[in-house]
Amino acid sequence: MADHAHDHDDHELAHVATLKTLLATGTTLLLLTLLTVAATKVDFGTNINLAVALVIAVVKATLVVLFFMHLRYDRLFHSVVFVSALLAASLFVGFTLMDSSQYQDTNIWNPSTPPAAPVGPRPVNG
Amino acid sequence: MNLEILVLIIVVTALSGGALAAIFAGKKHRHALAWFFLSFWLGVIGPIGDFVLGQRDWVSPIVATIVGAVIGVVVVLVVPALPVQPDPVYPDGPKDEKDYLHCSKGFLSWALTLDHKRIGLMYLFGILFSLLVGGVFALLVRTELFFPGKTIVDQDMYNKFFTLHGAIMVFLVIIPGIPAALGNIIMPIQLGAPDVAFPRLNLASFYLWCSGAILLVLTIPFGGLDTGWTLYTPYSLESKTPVLVATMGVFLLGFSSIFTGLNFLVTIHKFRPQGMGWFQMPLNVWAIYATAIMQVLATPVLGITVLLLTVERFAHIGIFDPNLGGDPVLFQHFFWFYSHPAVYIMIIPGMGVVNELISTYAGKPIFGYRFIAYSSISLALLSFLVWGHHMFVSGQSRLANMVFSALTFTVAIPSAIKIFNWVATLYKADIRLKTGMIYGLAFLLLFTIGGLTGLFLGILSVDVHLHDTYFVVAHFHYVMMGSTLVAFLGALHHWWPKFTGRMYNEKIGQICAFGVFFGFNFTFMPQFVMGARGMPRRYWDYDPQYTIFHQLSTIGAFILGFSIFITVISLVASFWTGKKAPRNPWGGSSLEWQAPTPPPLYNFEKPPVLHELYNYDDLVEVEPDRWERKTPIEDEPEKADAIARKIGAVTDHTAGATQAERAAAMIHAKAEEVRAEHDVTESSKGKALDPKDLAADKAEAAKVAGAGEVMPTATAEQAKDEEAKNKDEGEKK
Amino acid sequence: MTTAHEEHGVEHDLGHHGSPFVQHHYDDAQHQFDSGKFGIWLFLAQEVLFFSALFVQYVLYRVHHSEIFNYAHKWLDVKFGATNTAVLIFSSLTAAWAVRCAQRNQRRGLIACIVITLLCACTFLGIKYLEYSHKVHEHILFGRYFDPCISPGNAELLTQNNECPGTKSTIDWDYGSEKAKTGCFEESKIDVDPNQPGVQADCAVAEITREKKTIEDQKTHKEVETWVEKSRRVIAARCPEPHLPEAGVAEHEQFPCWRPAYQPVVCPDLTDAEARRHGTAGRPQDGILVEYGDSAERGEDIVIDATCKAPAPATAQSIELLASNNGEHDLKEGQGAIHPIHIATEEDEFERASLGPPPEHTGMFLTIYFAMTGLHGIHVLFGIFVFTWLLMRSIKGHFTPEYFGPVDYAALYWHIVDIIWIFLFPLLYLIH
Repeated sequence: MADHAHDHDDHELAHVATLKTLLATGTTLLLLTLLTVAATKVDFGTNINLAVALVIAVVKATLVVLFFMHLRYDRLFHSVVFVSALLAASLFVGFTLMDSSQYQDTNIWNPSTPPAAPVGPRPVNG
Repeated sequence: MNLEILVLIIVVTALSGGALAAIFAGKKHRHALAWFFLSFWLGVIGPIGDFVLGQRDWVSPIVATIVGAVIGVVVVLVVPALPVQPDPVYPDGPKDEKDYLHCSKGFLSWALTLDHKRIGLMYLFGILFSLLVGGVFALLVRTELFFPGKTIVDQDMYNKFFTLHGAIMVFLVIIPGIPAALGNIIMPIQLGAPDVAFPRLNLASFYLWCSGAILLVLTIPFGGLDTGWTLYTPYSLESKTPVLVATMGVFLLGFSSIFTGLNFLVTIHKFRPQGMGWFQMPLNVWAIYATAIMQVLATPVLGITVLLLTVERFAHIGIFDPNLGGDPVLFQHFFWFYSHPAVYIMIIPGMGVVNELISTYAGKPIFGYRFIAYSSISLALLSFLVWGHHMFVSGQSRLANMVFSALTFTVAIPSAIKIFNWVATLYKADIRLKTGMIYGLAFLLLFTIGGLTGLFLGILSVDVHLHDTYFVVAHFHYVMMGSTLVAFLGALHHWWPKFTGRMYNEKIGQICAFGVFFGFNFTFMPQFVMGARGMPRRYWDYDPQYTIFHQLSTIGAFILGFSIFITVISLVASFWTGKKAPRNPWGGSSLEWQAPTPPPLYNFEKPPVLHELYNYDDLVEVEPDRWERKTPIEDEPEKADAIARKIGAVTDHTAGATQAERAAAMIHAKAEEVRAEHDVTESSKGKALDPKDLAADKAEAAKVAGAGEVMPTATAEQAKDEEAKNKDEGEKK
Repeated sequence: MTTAHEEHGVEHDLGHHGSPFVQHHYDDAQHQFDSGKFGIWLFLAQEVLFFSALFVQYVLYRVHHSEIFNYAHKWLDVKFGATNTAVLIFSSLTAAWAVRCAQRNQRRGLIACIVITLLCACTFLGIKYLEYSHKVHEHILFGRYFDPCISPGNAELLTQNNECPGTKSTIDWDYGSEKAKTGCFEESKIDVDPNQPGVQADCAVAEITREKKTIEDQKTHKEVETWVEKSRRVIAARCPEPHLPEAGVAEHEQFPCWRPAYQPVVCPDLTDAEARRHGTAGRPQDGILVEYGDSAERGEDIVIDATCKAPAPATAQSIELLASNNGEHDLKEGQGAIHPIHIATEEDEFERASLGPPPEHTGMFLTIYFAMTGLHGIHVLFGIFVFTWLLMRSIKGHFTPEYFGPVDYAALYWHIVDIIWIFLFPLLYLIH
């Protein structure tokens, strides 16, 4: 990074990534892909396997964002834009999941095994 | 696979091709691409004709499509080979200061324009046309409800009427109304920018809007749509009406909206002139900024939702179909994740223009500028947290109901902040009841009613009673129509002289504004009453006890419709009959009133001078409907600019707002000297200047913040020349 | 935020020297580049939200119905998925490299990088094509079209693994293809005779003949010439007894029937076109559907008159036949039953025990798979267009250190496409 210390010097419109960074990032990503496939072969239990796979995916995505997409060297506001999109998306997932976990029981998934009747007293009418 | 789907495939291919082309192509190829786009549409007409005639013949649509495609390809190959005239429109336009309406002529100079004002004007006419179509459906709905039972049409047709009224009004009129049409025309000028950041993208959004609008309107010859504008599953999966055409239309409209928002965000970020910090922007720009945030972050969800609905409908993938394990409530989550922010996409721009209306016609600085700005942004953010309040009785869980109900109340805070600030602005003001101001005041009343009734509906227990009744209908009409459309009409009158160069007929405008206000209340007040008494919405028939309310409502609707119709006719007629408009007919303080009327291609013939925003002390009405600044600064911008350069104020600006403000103050102080020199000449012109005023101005200039210099189009050569000239002058002295 | 004007307004306002592609309404190259970059980041934010609804859907079903994910992911080939991941990551690298080349004014390197990126994108789509075509071929499709039973390639699935959902078969088979005529059991072709127990013909399309007829269109009430099918198809069979699993005994050992009765046999009520469209056709009946009468295609509806017959009671002869085939059985004379021809090996037994019947609505996994990868694939396709355009421009030498915005923006878009795949890969392919 030494020779590209200035993000916006007079000659460059934007940060120029060094070849070393690019290649190192690419290699790491490929290795992580191998790792994530290998991790599936080992049985840690469904949830842990999923967690491992997702953690690796998040690491990979972060590498891409930081180095390939230059976000590390870019304006802060671009990070704000990107993160706010992620926040909005997670809000979407979170709220919908919160709701659906309540009403999913009433969704008759398998007609041959209808959901159990709700527990508790019947609601009093009127 | 049926004809409907075939049409869709063609249309989508054509549109994506056309839109992409408009985005990527260079200016030389734009002609070709527009033809390509049009010819694809020719290809689409064949299948449509087939469908209308009831033929189920596969040959002619295919032939028509191929013909359209061939014409398109030929045109694409041939037109670029033709000798191309220098682009009359952009960016190498003529250098003389003809206004944007007259700087070039011919159909193509409009169809291919990159000028934001022309694009905005085309949007405006499209929207007014859609308003007409949607309004006719509204009147048909109201006519049908005049008597219980059948009045003019049967139940199925009634379903189609209210669906088309809703879909057209929401997607074609209110959402693009202020941001895409008036925002496009006015916002860059208010920023002192020569254009939006991405003019080609702007044109592409317009054509996406056109295409979406055509598809949505096409549902009428296809037999009408009867799902309600919300397109709820599972009915929308089963309806025999052309849902696919509508969903694809909505998809395209959504992307039009996204690209417009994106364009405006970049414009506001990157095209503010130096000296205009975030808090020196007009509040209208703030509102458009908040709107654009929602457009970019929420609208894609609508896109994917209608895309999934489309695929679900013809491929039965089962996402929303309970028979295949799908979840219809999920559709409502998807839909309202967009459509609740969409409600704010509709209202916030309305609030934005009301700031301008109230401040200008009251002639007072807006009260609580920062609070209004922040409240716009916080409304935009809160809009993402409350979508579930549309689903209280949709089978949503109790937990989610409670959370969403609680969050809904937070929305009242920023809304109330705005209302209080506007009322405070009006306090002891010298209010001029121009047409724009009548609409502005109507907005205050109607939005207050709409907002407060929204609180009733946010209360979970009350909503269970009121949900899907006319109370809800009245509530959202007070917000969407009573507020947004009224603000739209107000803004239209306010800026009409600016972008058409003609004054509208003030008398007719005022009378119609009162007509709109009374007609509106006539229409929707009774609906609150009957809604509270249990009249369900979307019903074709009703209990005779509601007859009187329905009849009042229908009469009101006709008064309203008539008033709007006359308004639009009067405005359009002023193109030919109106007298020439001056630069600043209302005494506005923001930059667009500095631009010539109508503005030239790049909006300003010379770099505009920033004055303190919403400060009207400097403005005098020299004759009716013509305001001028007392300071001659704008007559001497080059000189002021040169001085600014000399003292180093303009070049030393890298440290941000505070320094820019300091620089602005210095410019202002220097400009005072210039003004003093010109004092005599000013007086001889008849604009008598009070020495007391001058002294006050001087004192003010010292403390002024946020004023400054803007030079968006100045070239370096000019700047250097100025500097050199100035140096010479200084040496002579 | 300071604006570009403030930073680069006057000193850098050197007219529009340098690249001819700096547009007139921008102050300078930097202003144009910054505007474009901010624009593309907003577009990427939009893309995140555009995909978010699909992730919502994924999370919802993964949380509430993980069984279909655990069952159905075996239809996705990890090798394909991993290869595609690697290909896309490599193309991401070359895309980032292309930006560097443009910034460094290395025209040849730029062209090479863009070409490699394009090739990778095409490889990605090629592999996707292989995956998709296999699934289409085997009827491993979304929602209503999820019907591996009617594919000849899945005969093994049906006979050995007990995975044919049977009653889920819909009537929308491919009339024209040769495959449709063969059905899913080779054996079924030998003898489709309901009177003879022991002959299994599940999911088979025995024969189809077509003839042209003129019928009345239901919608327009006009005479329409159409193809009328005369077809014969045998769908579901039923085990003789109600089944209450006994503890400690493997399911398949409890039942003499080849197919554990994990669901009631449904003889579809095929005359109800509306119900069939929504996949609800059928009413439980003790029966075996053996014959269709005429079926006619009217518009998009297919109307078929079907008859159901009860399975014939087993005769001594048929029981003997069964015994010779299968060895063990507890079928009594007079009992209606159908038995497999296939004799299960030990491996088959293992497979059968480990796999069992598919969960309800397995097609939802495929719906999610096709929706997510399909939308991603469309983005890849779009990327190919964009990079082709970049290639043309870079050959013309348009990109210089003063003007390389399009390369940078396209690369950013390409990276987000890559990132989405980075998440899709473990979520869809690597389900344990």
